[in-house]
Amino acid sequence: MGANLLNNYGEAVAMILFGIGFGNLLLQSNLIKKIIGLNIMDTAIYLFLAEKGYISGRVAPIVTDGVQSVEAYINPIPSGLVLTGIVVSVSVSALMLSITVRLYQRYLTLDLDEITLRLKKEGL
Amino acid sequence: MDFVQNFPAVSILLCLFAGIVSSGLKKNAARRINRALLLTEIFLNACVLAYTAGTGESYVYVMGKFPAPWGNEIRAGVLEALTALFFCIIMLLSLEGGRKKLADEVEEGKTFLYYVLTDLLLSSLLALVYTNDLFTAYVFVEINTITACGLIMIRQNGRTIEAAARYMIMSLLGSGLLLMGICMLYDLTGHLLMSNIREQVALIYAAGDYRIPLLVTIALISVGLSIKSALFPFHAWLPDAYGYSTVSSAAILSSLVSKGYIFLLIKIIYRVIGFEIFYNSRIINILFIFALMAMVFGSLSAIRENDVRRMIAFSSVAQIGYIYMGIGMGTQAGMSASIFHIFSHAATKSLLFIAAIGLTDVSDGSRKFLSLTGAAYRDKWAGVAFTVGSLSMVGVPLFSGFISKLLFAQAAVQNEMKMLPALIVLGISTILNAIYFMKTVIRIYTPVEHTHYDTVTFKNIKSYAVTLVCFVVVNVILGVSSQPIVDLIEQGLAMFS
Amino acid sequence: MYYILLAIVFPVISGIYLLVRGEMKSRRRLLATVTIMLLATAGFAGLALCLGRDGLLSLFNLTDRLPVLFKVDEVSVVFSLMTIIVCLCAGVFSFEYMKHEEKEKRYYGFYLIVFGVLLALCFAGNLITFYLFFEILTLTSMPLVLHTGTKEAIMAGMKYLFYSLCGAYMALFGLYFIERYGNTLSFSAGGVISETAAAQHGGMLLLAAAVMLVGFGVKAGMFPMHAWLTAAHPAAPAPASAVLSAVIVKAGVLGIFRVVYYIFGVSFLRGTWVQTFWMVLTLVTVFMGSMLAYREPVLKKRLAYSTISQLSYILFGFAVMTGGSVTGGLLHVLCHGFIKAALFLCAGAIIYMTKKTRVEELRGIGKEMPLLMWCYTIVSLGLIGIPPMGGFISKWYLAMGALSSRISGFSWIGPVILLVSALLTAGYLLPLTIQGFFPGEDSSETIKKKEPPLFMTAPVLVLTVLSVAIGLFPGRITDYLSRIIEKII
Repeated sequence: MGANLLNNYGEAVAMILFGIGFGNLLLQSNLIKKIIGLNIMDTAIYLFLAEKGYISGRVAPIVTDGVQSVEAYINPIPSGLVLTGIVVSVSVSALMLSITVRLYQRYLTLDLDEITLRLKKEGL
Repeated sequence: MDFVQNFPAVSILLCLFAGIVSSGLKKNAARRINRALLLTEIFLNACVLAYTAGTGESYVYVMGKFPAPWGNEIRAGVLEALTALFFCIIMLLSLEGGRKKLADEVEEGKTFLYYVLTDLLLSSLLALVYTNDLFTAYVFVEINTITACGLIMIRQNGRTIEAAARYMIMSLLGSGLLLMGICMLYDLTGHLLMSNIREQVALIYAAGDYRIPLLVTIALISVGLSIKSALFPFHAWLPDAYGYSTVSSAAILSSLVSKGYIFLLIKIIYRVIGFEIFYNSRIINILFIFALMAMVFGSLSAIRENDVRRMIAFSSVAQIGYIYMGIGMGTQAGMSASIFHIFSHAATKSLLFIAAIGLTDVSDGSRKFLSLTGAAYRDKWAGVAFTVGSLSMVGVPLFSGFISKLLFAQAAVQNEMKMLPALIVLGISTILNAIYFMKTVIRIYTPVEHTHYDTVTFKNIKSYAVTLVCFVVVNVILGVSSQPIVDLIEQGLAMFS
Repeated sequence: MYYILLAIVFPVISGIYLLVRGEMKSRRRLLATVTIMLLATAGFAGLALCLGRDGLLSLFNLTDRLPVLFKVDEVSVVFSLMTIIVCLCAGVFSFEYMKHEEKEKRYYGFYLIVFGVLLALCFAGNLITFYLFFEILTLTSMPLVLHTGTKEAIMAGMKYLFYSLCGAYMALFGLYFIERYGNTLSFSAGGVISETAAAQHGGMLLLAAAVMLVGFGVKAGMFPMHAWLTAAHPAAPAPASAVLSAVIVKAGVLGIFRVVYYIFGVSFLRGTWVQTFWMVLTLVTVFMGSMLAYREPVLKKRLAYSTISQLSYILFGFAVMTGGSVTGGLLHVLCHGFIKAALFLCAGAIIYMTKKTRVEELRGIGKEMPLLMWCYTIVSLGLIGIPPMGGFISKWYLAMGALSSRISGFSWIGPVILLVSALLTAGYLLPLTIQGFFPGEDSSETIKKKEPPLFMTAPVLVLTVLSVAIGLFPGRITDYLSRIIEKII
């Protein structure tokens, strides 16, 4: 067990980071901190993917001097997935940030719970 | 290859194009494109349904030139086509019903954006239904989330923005878990296409390797998707999001968006992990317990609620519980009951939202329970429609809700262990549903002396009445001649496995 | 075969027509329309009874295994005849009674729909059809309870609704099991539970039977779910409460009868704990209902409690499961239907004329309206069970059936409780007669004779005559009933 963990330390770190990000996104009441949590969570997944795709001792499959044997390259698909994931996470972060701006303009606070409290008071 | 086989891919792309084109147009043009799009989609998906039901088997459609393990694929069977068709119909009706309100509540310059968002939402829903590729599914899940968020906050007030923020946060938690699950599946099997993963998973399972990672994966995916579809206890965002957004959004969100995720989950259970393996993983029991709690607590919250829209929203929590209960039953019958309830709830809940807006509109626009007194006399169509919706929710025979209740119960008696809890909770939930829905129905039919009310938007609008009638007809059809649909569902499930 | 459908669909459609159309030009025209509709419904139902015997009419399928079908058999004849007569009489009575009420059109609309649904219940050929119309009956009769729109009426309506829905769900709960373990949901004399199913899943099926009994028992006012009855009946307008108390509650009785004798079958249930449980419930209800009626000062409430008690007479007869007791039960269905309708109509007429609701205010009422009070007295005697009234015959059969059942304990406890309850019945019904005709010395006011109008007295008279006729000529009816008994026992 311990040896496994040591060998796959990249994945382990990714999982820990994922947990940190998840916790922040869930528990923080400050919107900006939530967004930071979101990004940590996403990045952790990319780390996990990259770690899975990398095979030590091989190179990226960028063909410059003729195709070598299949054994020479790492798996490129995870990298592709990471790229797609980054696009998604950027757009999501942008949307979250824009919502945050809107809320801040209206209520001059970043604390989501406080905003909810105020909304209840307004009784809208 | 038959020409019809192109239709699923075409229908998804058409939505995307329509969305892009509409973003450069004025609001009327966008509206027309949207309506034409929905009608075309209904036609296309009906064709696919007829085709697959006719041939009796599903087919795989290769996107691009790359064959199976590398390329991207679409898969169309009876169930996919049926779901897609139904989603399109409900979306069309929801948009028609809330059209007038939309003009009221959304800023003039932004109306076209609403249509852009619905076009994109439809494309992502169709893609979720049809795709055969897990990562594509993830991408469209995110598109779905973003567009749904846009639908919530297109009506600009504090409540909706806050609701959108909460919705986004919960959704992102869910999709984070989902993505992690997909990555782990990829890690375990080396594939992203559903059919390939399934073969590998079966091999791994048979060899007895990786039991714990597989379990974790299943847990991540099911929890992720159940967060996104607002299963109890992850439903905190739901009442605000459904309660304060513009009415079409509420109808679409409650009846389509959350159902899209559930459909994806069912698809993953059958086509990715395999029903047997999922059943043995015991995750199913956790879903079942959460579902039972949802059925009770959702209804209890609805009873306590004083605002009609939020009451209907809370009832969604209970209904989502019904659906997960069917999944949690772990039998084929339970699954087809769940899928039937997806349809029945979609038809009923959007009807209720649309009818409720008519009722609140003739009561000075107030949504408080007491001010609705006698509203059914002021807007007759909305009153009748709301009554039909309520009766269906309570599960009175002749309406769709009864058939789902019956199917759930039939599924429950097949499972010795889960029979009694399921039936008892079904009973409790029926009574609780009756309490708040019938209370409202009696309230809206109680005569009132106070005669003058300011009508906000709706009054004698013909298209609104027609929409309500359509909804009622859909409900009654589901309730009276359910057998063909149940047959189709079972045929589709057989194609899944 | 389509007469059956006509008898069901015609009143429902005409009721809906009345509900949705605009106000009629004159009250006279409304009444004429309603009269025609009521008579036509009765005519169609009569046709269905004459021509549609023992035929099956399958309408459509809810799902593959659950067809909605109708069938006319002897039991349908008994229940539907009672329904038709009571509904017609109460309908005529409402012509006068509802004169000063608002929303008359709505009242008649729902009245007709309820009429149609009741006929559908009588003709239902399988359990799912019965359940379907049972639910619809609750929903369509609720507006009758709510009619006055006062706060009490609304609370009573809600109470009625929730009790009924609870009951209906319990019935449905049993239905799931029967559908799973039985072969079919169709009513067939002697039951549909096969012996293998009974052997394998006996415990579960017995539980289902008990739950269904309690579930349908809600509608029939059986302890422990009887509380809605005394709230809902007094809240409704008098003719509606006559229908509620005489016919609608019989839907629960019919449901229990169908479930016990046509689904589970006597051989499956006899001698089980379910039978004991059921007899205990009915006897408790009989006694408790009478006691509560005895203590109740408001006339309509007193009659409602009396309904609770009398219905359990019927159910006790069914529970004992001997030929005699079931005959008695079915006979009492008829007797109680006519008598209770007459009693409620009397109470309605009294309220209409004097606006008095409590028994002690009604001193000297017999001097005021002698004809009405004579009818009241005669049917009261019938309900108590004094020969030669109808009630005597039915109670005689009940008691004899119970005595011959040889169920240890109950074969003598049952008749004793019935007897005690009969005494209590006399105790709560007759004081009105006594005080009515003999107000005593201290009533100094001069009482003018003021009989209610013809539309009110005629229905009461008809019902009284019918209830006496059953007592005078019971032979034909018991012969007919014995044909039912042969098949089911």
